[in-house]
Amino acid sequence: MSALSQIPARGLERDPVTGPGGRAGDGGGTPAPARRRFPRPDYWSGVGLPGLLFVIAAFAVPMVVVVVKSLTDPSPENYAAIFSSAVYQRSVWDTLRMALVVTGLCLLIGYPYAYAMARSGRAMRTFLTVALMLAFWTSLLVRTYAWQIILNDTGIVNTVLREWLGLVSEPVRLIRTPFAVYIGMVHVLMPYAVLALFAQLRSIDPDVERAARGMGARPWRVFARVTLPLSLPGAVAGGVLVFVLALGFYITPQLLGGARQIYVGQAIMQQIEQFLKPGVGAAMAVLLFAAVLAVLAVAARFVGLGRILGVGMGRRR
Amino acid sequence: MRAGPGVRVFACLVALVFVAPTLIVAATAVTSGSMVAFPPNGFSLRWFEEVLTDPEWLTALGNSVQVGLLAAVLAMVAGTSLAFAAARGRFLPPSLVTGLAVLPMTVPLVVAGIGFYLVYIRVGLSGSVLSLGLAHAVLGLPFVFVNVLAALTGVDRRVEEAARVSGATETVTLLRITLPLVAPAALVGGVLAFVSSWDEVVVALFLNTPQFRTLPVVMWSQVRSGVEPSISAVATLITLVSLVMAALVLLGPALLKRIRRRT
Repeated sequence: MSALSQIPARGLERDPVTGPGGRAGDGGGTPAPARRRFPRPDYWSGVGLPGLLFVIAAFAVPMVVVVVKSLTDPSPENYAAIFSSAVYQRSVWDTLRMALVVTGLCLLIGYPYAYAMARSGRAMRTFLTVALMLAFWTSLLVRTYAWQIILNDTGIVNTVLREWLGLVSEPVRLIRTPFAVYIGMVHVLMPYAVLALFAQLRSIDPDVERAARGMGARPWRVFARVTLPLSLPGAVAGGVLVFVLALGFYITPQLLGGARQIYVGQAIMQQIEQFLKPGVGAAMAVLLFAAVLAVLAVAARFVGLGRILGVGMGRRR
Repeated sequence: MRAGPGVRVFACLVALVFVAPTLIVAATAVTSGSMVAFPPNGFSLRWFEEVLTDPEWLTALGNSVQVGLLAAVLAMVAGTSLAFAAARGRFLPPSLVTGLAVLPMTVPLVVAGIGFYLVYIRVGLSGSVLSLGLAHAVLGLPFVFVNVLAALTGVDRRVEEAARVSGATETVTLLRITLPLVAPAALVGGVLAFVSSWDEVVVALFLNTPQFRTLPVVMWSQVRSGVEPSISAVATLITLVSLVMAALVLLGPALLKRIRRRT
């Protein structure tokens, strides 16, 4: 820490004239080797110091506090309590299953969408892009609320079924079911999958497909043997992002889900808000964050972290 | 290969499902009735009027704007600063700086919320523009960082060296040459940070108090007891602001370039 606090002083003290002069004296751009070998506080690290201090104070410290809380309030027993609780174990499996299904649906539905976006005329592409962006930039809470309006007992679907078509006499139970959660989650998260797939599909050289066609492959075969394999990195990037985002979801399951199905994000909130056990909540949070980081670390080996996090830059849940 | 007709029809149907919820919310907001109904019975803007004259919503709106602006400014300063350290600093490995700067993107909001909550409770800062602004600044920081880092790699170092040779100090060069060159990227990141703060609910729920609530938090508390045209009106307002900001970010740079080329 003391070394870090030296940075701005040293950087700023350097004489403005000797800087470039010294560089010229080195013999036309040959850098002094000593400077390379021993990293020491330099001007640009000094410029980075405020940002570094900010991230440490405003982000790293809170994260450490969560870990400390999970171990000390009242004790590391918090973790044992989690692992021995049947309720919590069920919610972990439910969450994993939900995240996997949502990821699968996002990729299955998102793939043709991204394909149409990447391989269509201008008008079609514009229409699909505008629709995607409209959904993407509508707040998560607003979209979840919209599904509430649609799926309510007195909502749009039930109104149509009962009053317009007369198919049912009692409202069909749609809201507060896992089904509603899945619809809402897929709707909220699919843009990430589409954007990742679209970026990948656009990057495929059309000549590769043309070559396959030229050599006599049928269209479906070109797709199965050329396009699909080449687009896999995009599918992995989008899928991983959707999966880790789904793991920690709170708003959508809370509004659209039933009381019987508690996902991990909700379980954490419950520990803190209802059971007033912040220690147990913190322990769950530590495990959740660790799981997210582990999935990202594994996936990053295959497709690179930049590609995963770069998807839909500027939007997070 | 062009997408076949089947794929295109399917994509169009999905596109309709994409936009339907947003449009339905807007439609239920402009109803003249007092219930959320679809199709809406009669057109009126009375619910917008009601929301925009209600002190509770207005206070929340003010809080949201203040938090968003504070978060955007802090994220811009910290994110730009870190981008310089990652691109040019030699003291810390660039991968470490980059990792620290994008880490807030990976943390589930529930986890981040607990952390902020525990810290701000302890230092007595909970439930204020400052605490939520700081928290949202952390979450928005990666957007600024990534944008400025990309812009920095495109900066021609010879321009800076010219300034240095002409006798400008490192700091003057930074302030007069380099920062103006990356300012547009920082601004784009700042707008993204504002939007991500503007509709963020989970962290805001952790840090809210009865006296201090943002727009999404008030909306959340009302949504849980059912759907109302006034909530639809607020939801529409939130969406409109987000969409305008997104359009700014997505179309702004291209538009600016076109204007510049013309003059």
